[in-house]
Amino acid sequence: MQTFATEAVDWPDSAPALRQKVRALVAEHGERDPVRRANCWTKAAPGFSRMLGEAGLLGMTWPKEYGGHERSQLERYVVIEELLAAGAPVGAHWIADRQSGPLLLRLGNDELKARWVPGMVRGEIFACIGLSEPNSGSDLASVRTAARRDRDDWIINGQKVWTTGAHWSHFMIALIRSEAGSERQQGLSQFVIPLDAPGVTVKPIVDLTGAHEFNEVFFEDVRVPASALLGEEGQGWRQATAELSLERSGPERYLSSMVLFLELVRHAGEHSDPVTRDLVGRLASEAWTLRLMSASVAAKLARGEDPALEATIVKDLGNAYEQAIPELVQSAIEMDLTGDDVLASVTAYLLQVAPSFSLRGGTREILKGIIARGLGLR
Amino acid sequence: MSDTRRMLAEMADPLFAELGPQADKSDLARLEELGLPLLLVSEEDGGFGGNHVDALTVFRLAGYHALGLPLVEQIIARREVEGSDAHFRLGAFARTAQIAGALDAALAISVAYVNERQQFGRPLAKFQAVQQDLATFACEAAAANCAAMGAAEALDRGDAAFEVAAAKLRANSAASAGARIAHQVHGAIGFTQEYPLHYLTGRLRKWRSEFGGDAHWGRVLGDLVVARGADLFWPDLTARTG
Ligand SMILES: Cc1cc2nc3c(=O)[nH]c(=O)nc-3n(C[C@H](O)[C@H](O)[C@H](O)COP(=O)(O)OP(=O)(O)OC[C@H]3O[C@@H](n4cnc5c(N)ncnc54)[C@H](O)[C@@H]3O)c2cc1C
Repeated sequence: MQTFATEAVDWPDSAPALRQKVRALVAEHGERDPVRRANCWTKAAPGFSRMLGEAGLLGMTWPKEYGGHERSQLERYVVIEELLAAGAPVGAHWIADRQSGPLLLRLGNDELKARWVPGMVRGEIFACIGLSEPNSGSDLASVRTAARRDRDDWIINGQKVWTTGAHWSHFMIALIRSEAGSERQQGLSQFVIPLDAPGVTVKPIVDLTGAHEFNEVFFEDVRVPASALLGEEGQGWRQATAELSLERSGPERYLSSMVLFLELVRHAGEHSDPVTRDLVGRLASEAWTLRLMSASVAAKLARGEDPALEATIVKDLGNAYEQAIPELVQSAIEMDLTGDDVLASVTAYLLQVAPSFSLRGGTREILKGIIARGLGLR
Repeated sequence: MSDTRRMLAEMADPLFAELGPQADKSDLARLEELGLPLLLVSEEDGGFGGNHVDALTVFRLAGYHALGLPLVEQIIARREVEGSDAHFRLGAFARTAQIAGALDAALAISVAYVNERQQFGRPLAKFQAVQQDLATFACEAAAANCAAMGAAEALDRGDAAFEVAAAKLRANSAASAGARIAHQVHGAIGFTQEYPLHYLTGRLRKWRSEFGGDAHWGRVLGDLVVARGADLFWPDLTARTG
């Protein structure tokens, strides 16, 4: 038995130059506040996103026809791991570049692609994910938000929740029940809903840090044209689960606390303390391993394979790692969490947000269930 | 997989399975006839001329089948002078690869066992707590295998001080987590001499300490990283691969 096919990753020749380019851009335009560099892919800075667009670093793998740059998947991987490791504020465009764009390009009609994709490549159009609802969390197949036909249009009613970035996004790709009376995975479709459509209301949800990142989104008789249907009617479940592969497989699933690890290394350099040094060693070992695993998944995706099981393994290990870092730092070093030195303030912030790392994008238990299925246990 | 590697795997897999944990010392001659102890000796010196990824294949299978012969030790000793740093480092890499193999084997028999063993009128595999534990086990086994591969590639590239330290440290913690879960899902039968689980978990326990335990490699790696400093950690990490 070998659950994870290990193969060498063939890094692109252009990787070193791309890394230098991203490092220079982040040094010039990146986030100065170390706390905001942590968990950076939820930090929206539309100006930074536009700058990346101008630099040709968004929509990197997408077709030129829609403004994309037709670079390889691994070149994109190099760019995003650099942005994340540097704590760049990539939140505004993150979802668009990671999953909404690829989904539109794979399944969208010409009208949808022409309307949304070029703006995403420029870093001007942002997107959000409409999966969760008040009564549908882990049990996603229970979604109730409904679309009914009205001649050539669809009328949408219902509610999504925990929608990250709905307040800065221009559209949502939503999983919606398009066949009245259908059950579970049947009768679901995906729709592209402009968030300025009449009948859409976005209400903030303030998280426990006091930040506003996610939202409730209400749909009251929202009318969209037939062309807003993404892919095939009734195939929403299959499409959304394929979308989850994109959502779960990236390096953001292990790098959310990298900034704190680097602060720990700095601290260890200034104080010679064996406990801290050993912790640096252990965390460096895990970072190195996870990077190999994550890149190996990226290489498989680039070859057109669907490494769903491997991606789930990397997300689960990665989330555990990024979640453990703040607690291990807290346990190794005496600090005043209310203090304003960098180590304490980044630790304090990450201790607060770390519980979300094993919830967002599919909870730890759901991921382990998927791995168990892969092992032939269910 | 390269042709050499496939050939090695096709030779070693059934042979190690046949020899198994209780192999007789006299069976070493069979391995010698095949030239396996000279795996890492160059062709000019009359050896097999394998690289570290080839060695990974053999070491991992030796771990998988809990091979009861000191083949791995011989391969290392033929390549590096005993007592040297290079010997210790190669040994740590070998143990990493063996741990990776033994974890995959222990996972396989654990999965087979919980699918077969029934309690409360259904296979243990149907209980979510058991499923979640084995999923954790699969993650650990995957990490050890990837770490072993990363170390092998680094050794083939040259200086692998960082990678071997990182890989052994990662494999060590996987070894303990995996062995713990393997025993838990087996219940009492796994605690017997008769049932073969202990061949794997006993080795996992020993290998964790051999050629550097957690404290050793934690210190080595911590010193390496701290000496380079926070600002070079990521550039160094990426420069090592591409
Ligand atoms: C920061 C953040 C951002 C998010 N952004 C978005 C977004 O942009 N768009 C979006 O659609 N959603 C988003 N989500 C929602 C996220 O997908 C859900 O939180 C997640 O799927 C879990 O659903 P839930 O919160 O309803 O928890 P529940 O499903 O109610 O689960 C609660 C607990 O029970 C466990 N549990 C549930 N079912 C089982 C089971 N069968 N077996 C064992 N344990 C089980 C879970 O693992 C969890 O530990 C976000 C969440 C967070 C925290």
